[in-house]
Amino acid sequence: MEQWTRREDRRLLTGQGRYVADIAVPDCLDAVFVRSGVGHGTLRAVDCTAARAVPGVVGAWSAADLSELPAVPYTLLARLSNEESVAGREWPALVKDRVRYAGEAVAVVLGEDRYRAEDGAAEVFCHVDPLPAMVTPSAAADDSVRLFDGLSNIAFRGEAGKPVEESVWREAAAVVEGRYRQQLLMPTPMECRTILAVPEGDRLTVWSGHQMPHRLRRELAALLGWSVDRVRVVVPDTGGAFGSKSATFPEFVVVAFLAVKLGRPVRWIEDRLESMLVATRGRGQDQRVRLAADADGRLLGYELTIEADVGAYPHLGVGLPMQTAWLATGPYTTPQAYATVRSVLTNTMLTYPYRGAGRPEATIALERAMDVMARRLGLDPAELRRRNFIPPESFPYRTPTGRCYDSGNYAAALDLALETLEYDGWRAEQARRRTDPGALPLGIGLSCYVERSGGEAGGLHEFGSVEVGEDGTVTARCGAAPSGQGHETVFAALVAGTLGVAEERVRLVEGDTDEQPEGLGSFASRSAQVVGALLQHVSRRLIDEARERAARLWELPVDEVQWSGGIVHAAEDGSAAIGVADLVKVTGPLRVEDRFESGMAFPFGSHAVVAEVDPELGTVRLLRVVTVDDCGVVLNPTIVRGQAFGSAVQGIGQALYEGMTYDDQGVPVLASGLLDYLLPTFTEVPPIEVKDTCTPSPATPLGAKGAGESGCIGTPAAIVNAVADALRIADPDLLQMPLTPDVVWRAARAPKHEEEVR
Amino acid sequence: MKPAAFDYVVPRTVPEAVAALGDAGRKAQVLAGGQSLILEMHLQRIRPELVVDINRIAGLDRLSVEGDTLRVGALVRHSVFESAQSAPGPLGALFARAVVNIAHPPIRSRGTMVGSFAWAHPASEWCAIGTALDADIEVHGLEGKRVVAARDYFHGPYRTARRPQELITAVRFPLLGDDTGVGFIEHRRTHFCFAQVAVAAALTVRDGVIGEARIGLVNCADRPLRAGAAERALIGVEVGPPVDGHRLPDGHPFAHAGRIAATQDAAPLAEPFADVEYKRHAIAVLVGRTLCQAANDQRSRLAQPKGDHK
Ligand SMILES: Cc1cc2nc3c(=O)[nH]c(=O)nc-3n(C[C@H](O)[C@H](O)[C@H](O)COP(=O)(O)OP(=O)(O)OC[C@H]3O[C@@H](n4cnc5c(N)ncnc54)[C@H](O)[C@@H]3O)c2cc1C
Repeated sequence: MEQWTRREDRRLLTGQGRYVADIAVPDCLDAVFVRSGVGHGTLRAVDCTAARAVPGVVGAWSAADLSELPAVPYTLLARLSNEESVAGREWPALVKDRVRYAGEAVAVVLGEDRYRAEDGAAEVFCHVDPLPAMVTPSAAADDSVRLFDGLSNIAFRGEAGKPVEESVWREAAAVVEGRYRQQLLMPTPMECRTILAVPEGDRLTVWSGHQMPHRLRRELAALLGWSVDRVRVVVPDTGGAFGSKSATFPEFVVVAFLAVKLGRPVRWIEDRLESMLVATRGRGQDQRVRLAADADGRLLGYELTIEADVGAYPHLGVGLPMQTAWLATGPYTTPQAYATVRSVLTNTMLTYPYRGAGRPEATIALERAMDVMARRLGLDPAELRRRNFIPPESFPYRTPTGRCYDSGNYAAALDLALETLEYDGWRAEQARRRTDPGALPLGIGLSCYVERSGGEAGGLHEFGSVEVGEDGTVTARCGAAPSGQGHETVFAALVAGTLGVAEERVRLVEGDTDEQPEGLGSFASRSAQVVGALLQHVSRRLIDEARERAARLWELPVDEVQWSGGIVHAAEDGSAAIGVADLVKVTGPLRVEDRFESGMAFPFGSHAVVAEVDPELGTVRLLRVVTVDDCGVVLNPTIVRGQAFGSAVQGIGQALYEGMTYDDQGVPVLASGLLDYLLPTFTEVPPIEVKDTCTPSPATPLGAKGAGESGCIGTPAAIVNAVADALRIADPDLLQMPLTPDVVWRAARAPKHEEEVR
Repeated sequence: MKPAAFDYVVPRTVPEAVAALGDAGRKAQVLAGGQSLILEMHLQRIRPELVVDINRIAGLDRLSVEGDTLRVGALVRHSVFESAQSAPGPLGALFARAVVNIAHPPIRSRGTMVGSFAWAHPASEWCAIGTALDADIEVHGLEGKRVVAARDYFHGPYRTARRPQELITAVRFPLLGDDTGVGFIEHRRTHFCFAQVAVAAALTVRDGVIGEARIGLVNCADRPLRAGAAERALIGVEVGPPVDGHRLPDGHPFAHAGRIAATQDAAPLAEPFADVEYKRHAIAVLVGRTLCQAANDQRSRLAQPKGDHK
């Protein structure tokens, strides 16, 4: 029986997948990096002499040994970074004189295999004089110690909306405030980062598990001083990315540079411990919020102040918190709103997009404040939300913080979430438990969100083509690059559906810059929405092209020629008919390629959680998690469900488990790897009920919105709100994520809020 | 994350293994289940010159009852104890309650109980149980066999009375009588990781009065502990009726014992996400709850027909 639900599953689940580390190239060298053991310091000396003498070591270099080694390219994509932020703050591929984050590479060793290269790395001598390490924005913001001499640690400032008038705060019936920490998270894909660079003639072929192969090609070519056509980037099977695989990392620069310099294949297969130390982080915001409402619970003003930890260099993460600012007001009508961002350089590894990328932070801040407001006003939290939702007839809706939402029906999602959860029943159970001293307290948490998918203006297009061969096979090409999302299944079905041919006839080619010369990639939940629209568009154009050819062949006006199920026929009597394969044989290769642009879309949803808390130990047990997401038109329900489920588990990770501590040298405490940084495992996954509503997007022809990040965005606030609801603490700021047992225990001992304030 | 170079031998007998370990020229490590050693070697925190793989030594996988002791050979895997029938009476029940807390099934199918004694992680469930029950550790060196009592065996984190040249062949536990009830409760952040705190308890009750109490504390100090002061406070105490709910009344003798264990017996060390204050509190709570569980276990054991060890 056919058990596989996705085309790629048979390959991936039976060990037939081919990842970068599986690609055997003769004479390939393994790169190992020697990494700084402190988070901040002055590099005094690096000596690779002893390493070079280790058997099997082919070479070892520090920055001083490689004077022509280029720096890490900055990307000023999508308003996420700007010239002013990066100026004077170069990110060297190997440390030149200052170490700015723990694990920053100070030398590289190439060996005949990873074992030998590691033996060599152990022999590299490196001396760093420690400087004070700052691992939080508040520690770094006063510039008492500067990461870059003569430059402030504050690398970026931004704002959205207009300052809320003082009278709003003064005259509101209720004003609530909160301080929320969005801890740094690790994206933790199953496969860590990979790159294999193979010089061939005057070209370089680069294999990498990557989300943006064309960007990687462009950036590598630029740093080698080559034209782009001399670099080919291929993305084979990739074991997850979650946003963390879209840059040209320092290690990539070194590997490509050395492969070219030595004329030999070089690869770097990042291991888990390296990844935990130096892969990009997500989140990292310290937030202050202020929310005002009138006596009926109508929101009057909202203020969000963000201090973002962007890590040691101002890369893409420097402007990323603007995603939070632009979405500050979520699904509610808020007449006045103002969000400000201050991005602070610290001695942590760089902050970067991680599944959710700015939207979880916006949702958590607002949704926690909404619960505090509901309690203050004595309103049911669901009712407070309902009173403030942007009504379905108001779309497109322009928010005070500068977004234009395409479509939404927020109340429908909340209603479905409450109904699925059996909200009233749990409220009754909660009331019962409150009268039973032996019962564990129980809380219900809600979180309603709006997010943005597709990308930012200037990045909402994609390139691709559809081609029919003489055997009738359809080949679709596009600039996307999957890391496990199931493109082979969804896009093949989409093309087949548009053409009306059997899915088996359609083959998808992605992630190879020689096959597909231009492309953007897979990020920002854009593939279905943007790339899907492109593939539908080129498929339709292919039909038109086939009809035109047949019309010429039969000397008929083109509107008398029709396409159906891969056959072109004359509309009138159906006497003339030709299969597309035969048409190709007669008229030559049939191929349509194009660029297609979509609009931004705004998926939304409501998540609801029931949590039970053991106040004596501080443990949290999730009894129910309900996720209702609306990603517009669903192309493949199984895949959307998988995305919702998986991202909800990652949302649970942020809420309850994932967090890093640092030692006083600024080194994250991760000596035992994933025993120190805890992910939810199978045992921690509660019953999650995944549901959806469907509000098509008018911004894209398929009506599909992004579906990949919903749980990371919606689930954490629902969990924290549930715990706060269970404990009824007066000061909800005590609950900062991750809600580890010690945090919850301390909160449980704190004063309770008064019942029924009004 | 690759081990440094090492030599590897596979002895077939205990004397061969001991001879290999006794090779004075090379720093050697025994390889049992490898669930701690291999990780440490990958991290290069342990860099043995010689790895002595004992997995092919016949007989080391034997689990046997000898008189009134249970002898656990060096290759008996954690997973064996998932069945409460693996050891007679309450001892089997205690092991079964404890073992499910050790990581995930794949790790339990390879890792060994004796390996845990050799490794002496402060958060090892087995080590605290062994300490509470006065287990004996059998070690073989070039000079022959010696037996070390658990109370003298643990010297600190990863430090024991075993000399580097010695092989542990078995750990022996005294069997527990049917008048003994057992409990084991673990507190940790996820199922994957080690305990923040766990407690093992065995209460021997005659005519409703506690005659003997054994309490083992997991990760409550730099080594496994027996909570002697708390145990003494329980002797002669009436167990009383079962208690409902998650919170024991403050005056309950088990709550009292918990506070004594937390303040007098334990010497907890701060860890990320669990400082000393939190740990002491958790110890008090868990000791109280585990004693309740042991008392309930004893009650249900009494209610069963004699000779039924289920
Ligand atoms: C993810 C994960 C989670 C874990 N969680 C827990 C947990 O919650 N609780 C827990 O107790 N353990 C846990 N462990 C550790 C596991 O229980 C190990 O199996 C155990 O600590 C060691 O047993 P082993 O047989 O695997 O020993 P090995 O790894 O083979 O050896 C460990 C050490 O003991 C020495 N050694 C082993 N056997 C002997 C012997 N017979 N004589 C002399 N020296 C010997 C070795 O030389 C080595 O130094 C976990 C491990 C992992 C990977």
